[in-house]
Amino acid sequence: MATLQRPANSFLKGVMTASCLLLIALWVQGGAAWPIGPHCRLDKSDLPSAQVTNHTFRLAEEASLADNNTDVRLFGRHQLFRGVNATDYCYVMKQVLNFTVEEVLLLHSHRYQPYMDTVLSYLIRINHKLNHCYIERDDQNIQRNVQELKDTVRELGESGEIKVIGELNLLRGLLVTKCF
Amino acid sequence: MLSKHCFLGFLVTFFLTGETETQPNCDSLKPQKVHFQSRNFHNILHWQSGIGCTSNSSFYTVQYKIYGEKSWTNKESCSNIQQVFCDLTDETSLVQESYYGRVRMNSMGIPSDWVITKRFTPCWETKIDSPFMNLTRSNQSLLVSLGAPNLPDRAPKEKTMSMEDYYELVYRVFITNKFLKKEQMIYEGTHRVVEIEAVAPHMSYCVVAEMYQPMFDRRSQRSKKICVEIS
Repeated sequence: MATLQRPANSFLKGVMTASCLLLIALWVQGGAAWPIGPHCRLDKSDLPSAQVTNHTFRLAEEASLADNNTDVRLFGRHQLFRGVNATDYCYVMKQVLNFTVEEVLLLHSHRYQPYMDTVLSYLIRINHKLNHCYIERDDQNIQRNVQELKDTVRELGESGEIKVIGELNLLRGLLVTKCF
Repeated sequence: MLSKHCFLGFLVTFFLTGETETQPNCDSLKPQKVHFQSRNFHNILHWQSGIGCTSNSSFYTVQYKIYGEKSWTNKESCSNIQQVFCDLTDETSLVQESYYGRVRMNSMGIPSDWVITKRFTPCWETKIDSPFMNLTRSNQSLLVSLGAPNLPDRAPKEKTMSMEDYYELVYRVFITNKFLKKEQMIYEGTHRVVEIEAVAPHMSYCVVAEMYQPMFDRRSQRSKKICVEIS
């Protein structure tokens, strides 16, 4: 019995050791790539150029002339970062940018030329760069703030979309301070 | 029949216009051309009196807010004033923020409607004046002393930053001499003293400076050009 038990025992030990090693390997590998996740950050080389900045302000200025609603603001610190960790601000901006590009600007890409072209192609590029970043923490607060923004824009309809364009200079400011 | 109608029309017009002359309606009381004028981040609200409303009994009241705020704030020192401008520099000191101002006129107890500015963003709309520049010789180098145009003082918590950094302005210094075909930019940055080394003796140099807003690639007018001869 004793002789039979020993190999079984050492076999079990071997399996245990192998599993542990495998788990450690997975944990180490995962530790580097998975639980933290790629940070939402942009490279200095992606900062908006003076031309992009000029066109952004010009675009915002023109669109804001058509926006008479002075007490509703979409892109503001108080609205977007409420209850959010400072380390997650760029992740918020990723969500905001994605909505802005895909659900607003692309619909109006023919307007406010030539400024829209410059600004939109820059924002599409930045949106693409931020595409793969995520956070591991619970992002309920973030989703709520972003949803509030989306709801406000949808409630206002077309004038909400014009409001988004009229605030692109503010979006630019937030992107630059939170993602670079 | 037709002439009767015409006469009636005439009478109606006559009485209507007569009435607007004796009792000004609110539209004509409204201040006109309400806008910010911004120079070196000094942001002054300007307006003109309403049509035919330049009497001594016209008083203006000014309010402002950051874009997105629900309520307007009174500018106390511009409440019931007779001048047609109001300094809102302190109230609009966050240079990348967006603001609104509005004015209404009060004439003999009748307030006009508010007239609102377009959205105002100081860093985008302000005009920057040329810098101050002085030049001194020291042996084989030139010292350029620079000073920004008159910029508003910042709030106490922002004082740790230099003026130039806070307003995102840099100096640019250019030099020419008879051998340089084109002027050369020899400095771009926020230092207020710049040393130009290795200047050749018996040569005259001319130096000029400007303020530059890198964010928009915008330059101010040039400073006065100063020329010196190296002994």
